[in-house]
Amino acid sequence: MCDFSGRLVAWMDRELPDNEAADVERHVRDCLECRRRVDAYEKVSRAFVAYFDAAIGEKRRRRLPRWLPVLLSGAAAAAVLLLVFQPANIEQIPVQPRVADAAPAVVLETETAPRPVKKVHRRHVIAPTKTPSTNWALAEPSIQIAIPVEAIFPPGAVPEGITFIADLSMAADGSVQGLRLQQ
Amino acid sequence: MSGDSLSFPLPLTRFEADSCEATNLYRELRKPLLRYLVCLGLSADEAQDVVQDAFLSLHRHLASDGSQENIRSWLFRVAHNGARNRQHSYDRRFGKPLDPDLDSIADGATPEQVVLEKEKLRRLGKAILLLTESERECLLLRAGGLRYREIAEVLEIPTSTVGDTVDRAIKKLAEKCNV
Repeated sequence: MCDFSGRLVAWMDRELPDNEAADVERHVRDCLECRRRVDAYEKVSRAFVAYFDAAIGEKRRRRLPRWLPVLLSGAAAAAVLLLVFQPANIEQIPVQPRVADAAPAVVLETETAPRPVKKVHRRHVIAPTKTPSTNWALAEPSIQIAIPVEAIFPPGAVPEGITFIADLSMAADGSVQGLRLQQ
Repeated sequence: MSGDSLSFPLPLTRFEADSCEATNLYRELRKPLLRYLVCLGLSADEAQDVVQDAFLSLHRHLASDGSQENIRSWLFRVAHNGARNRQHSYDRRFGKPLDPDLDSIADGATPEQVVLEKEKLRRLGKAILLLTESERECLLLRAGGLRYREIAEVLEIPTSTVGDTVDRAIKKLAEKCNV
């Protein structure tokens, strides 16, 4: 058995120190046996997740989660922010901490916008996948951001089915100056 | 849209900031937490209850200025302990295989692919039963996206032990499933 076989799973999981990871990566590139092992470990890891996802899916259909209606009403009451600003200014606009907090809920409705990065750490794969472009130049001069109402208001503060259009005023330096909600 | 409008000043209050943080964590971790609890042997309903309790604890934790460091492993530890407190359910975790909805796995595949996929998952289900408690817990937490250090915090074992356990468990499954 290959000397590197004991470190393949840790390498896949990005748990090795950088220098060790580089050694394993070089080795995996050259060693067919280790590549096959990594491939098998990847497959079994994915199957493991799929198996338990199916287990959850089966049981979910038997009884809906008791707070599902609350979640649905929250989604229905999602507030939509419409920001209009010049594409030329986009690169100079610093990201506000508050906007960053709401990042997972942000939907950028432009084809060239980068996708939000999931927080779950990535594993090594043999064939590196293409990373999305980080070019911030937008094709459209406007961005729609859908923010669930529960992210803005305390629970129960907004009745079910209510939506808002929010106009966000921004200064030239990108800082947020005010927010006006229209029902 | 009518002309009704209201204005309020920024920045967000502490409550709203905490709500944002809790909402983001809920979106990110609800499913991994549910998966972890169901796989520990809890029923879907019990798992939903434990996850709900865990997020209520999170809300209280954030509201009382609790530390936001390692919040992911904090949530998993609360859920893990919640599962252990339901000892009856937790004890039946190795009693019988889970009952996954295999039909939902291979949507859109050809009939041959569906048969192969189901067979592979059945083998995997049997292999999972052969894992030790610790191996199973480590793999489930890993599937939830936790780093080895975070898994070590949840299970209160050394990080090096987590690495060895994950390695052993993955190799065992790969061997038994012959993937």
